[in-house]
Amino acid sequence: MQTSASHSPSLPTARQTTSVRMPGPARHYGRYLYLALNAAILIFLLAPIAIVVVFALNPTPFIQFPPVGVSLRWFEKFFASRDFMQALGFSLEVAVLTTLSATVLGASAALALARGNLPGTRLIVATMLSPLMLPAILTGLALFQTYVLLDVGRPTWGLVAGHTLVTLPYVVRTTLAVLHNFDTRLEEAAQNLGASPLRTFFEVTLPLIKPGVMAGAIFAFIVSFDQFPVSLFLVSPGNETLPVTLFNYLKFDLDGTIGAASVVSIVLAFVVVIGLDRTVGLRSYVKL
Amino acid sequence: MSSVASQRPNGLALFILPGALLFASFFFLPIGLMALMSVLTGNPVVMPKVSFTTRHYARMIGDPYYLEVIWTTIRIGLVTTLVALLIGYPLAHWMARIKSRTGHALLLMAVLAPMLTGIVVRTFAWMTLLSDKGVVNQTLMSLGLIAQPLKLMYTETGIVVGLVHIYVPFMVLTLTGVIGRIDERLEQAAENLGASPLRAFLEVTLPLSLPGILAGSLLVFALAISAYVTPILLGGFQIMTLPILIYQQISANFNVGFAAALGIVLLVISLLLVIAYNRALGLVSGQRELQ
Repeated sequence: MQTSASHSPSLPTARQTTSVRMPGPARHYGRYLYLALNAAILIFLLAPIAIVVVFALNPTPFIQFPPVGVSLRWFEKFFASRDFMQALGFSLEVAVLTTLSATVLGASAALALARGNLPGTRLIVATMLSPLMLPAILTGLALFQTYVLLDVGRPTWGLVAGHTLVTLPYVVRTTLAVLHNFDTRLEEAAQNLGASPLRTFFEVTLPLIKPGVMAGAIFAFIVSFDQFPVSLFLVSPGNETLPVTLFNYLKFDLDGTIGAASVVSIVLAFVVVIGLDRTVGLRSYVKL
Repeated sequence: MSSVASQRPNGLALFILPGALLFASFFFLPIGLMALMSVLTGNPVVMPKVSFTTRHYARMIGDPYYLEVIWTTIRIGLVTTLVALLIGYPLAHWMARIKSRTGHALLLMAVLAPMLTGIVVRTFAWMTLLSDKGVVNQTLMSLGLIAQPLKLMYTETGIVVGLVHIYVPFMVLTLTGVIGRIDERLEQAAENLGASPLRAFLEVTLPLSLPGILAGSLLVFALAISAYVTPILLGGFQIMTLPILIYQQISANFNVGFAAALGIVLLVISLLLVIAYNRALGLVSGQRELQ
């Protein structure tokens, strides 16, 4: 894990040695430059998100800067719109179904990969993580062609299957991370004390890997809720997910409704992530 | 690998089956069918007579327009990767070296916040910033710095700015992991021997983080060349990239075979990048197992 080296007790901390190194103004200027550069990068990362909130609250029917006031009219329009509400509901439905299937399939697969003594584990892991890097638009295209060839239409399960494929890697990765970090002697101890492998699994392994599985599940929910390229090919008119509806709206309109819709989805994502941080801790599961 | 040949699969190995089934039926089968469609003259379900053909690929190679589209896609990907590296590295370095736990948590939230905001939403944000009457132009004009709005949207520059914003968190997270593994005492040793912090960075930290730079760059490039939303909205349907062309072939031209052939080209490029990415990460960790 990324944090292990920096927290190892055997290393002296940097503070102890800092004072020994060359003092002087040049060093300070370098430090200020470094911090200023990073501050600018943080502004670049966060300003666009702040701007979305500003436009969601600005009452003018077009993009205007600086904003002239604060109003909730765009939120009213968003929540009153049948198209947006239907899309929001459908997105939540797909995200919940995807989270369930990705969590069950991903956690099982991770367990098999870490404990099953499977041959070719590296290759299987690489394959199961590959949807993270392979173009999602191709997953959408390939599934679309398959459903056309099989003449099954554009069913909801087809969309959920596509979403499961692109969210499964998150669950596999977070679960594998905990499986590799925990002490296998705990399982051995349980078995030495007479527990059956099944009982060991339910009473020792499962409680210990739960945080990793939960973290993966929450990633799966967010990724599915924001998913666009797979959905683009697999939704049917009148049954679209929120990102697809937003995209179609954006092609013609650029008013505050989009801002309001964006704020709603940002708030939803943050609620989920803060929940994750409170329950299982975020830091150890975020790595690439 | 620690699982040596003498160990045999146990009962837990069966838990791989549901996931394997998902990949077989919703990943390998569809991609296989896409490869098949790319060499057929038509849809075998609705057409009685279909035969094998290479015409879809010949069309791509024979027409300079399609080669230009592929080159535009790669060019946007390269520039995006370079810029993402230049602005991602300082932030990753800070995150990897910051001592305060709260500071680290805040930086992590700042990097994750954009990732948790959907691609469509972030592209909308950049449209409000970059359009002719957008925030950037209105601010510059009210300050009297420019008389005419700058053409920021509907250009490759606009696309690159949007893509960098979307994919720089991936670069930062990859680099943070690699820089965090470099022993800080190496830098301190260099400085104690009289090197300036800059020189210690250039001659110690930077070379040691090269595998991370490679891995992060490959990841961002792979993601950037497969982007659809940002190029189409910030490019205003005027700049054509491979993913846009693929969707257009399906939605407007109903040319499934040609779309499949374009898809296979994008897939092959991406697969090569994925393999290179795994190699690069392998360099970081020696033989780090399973991750």
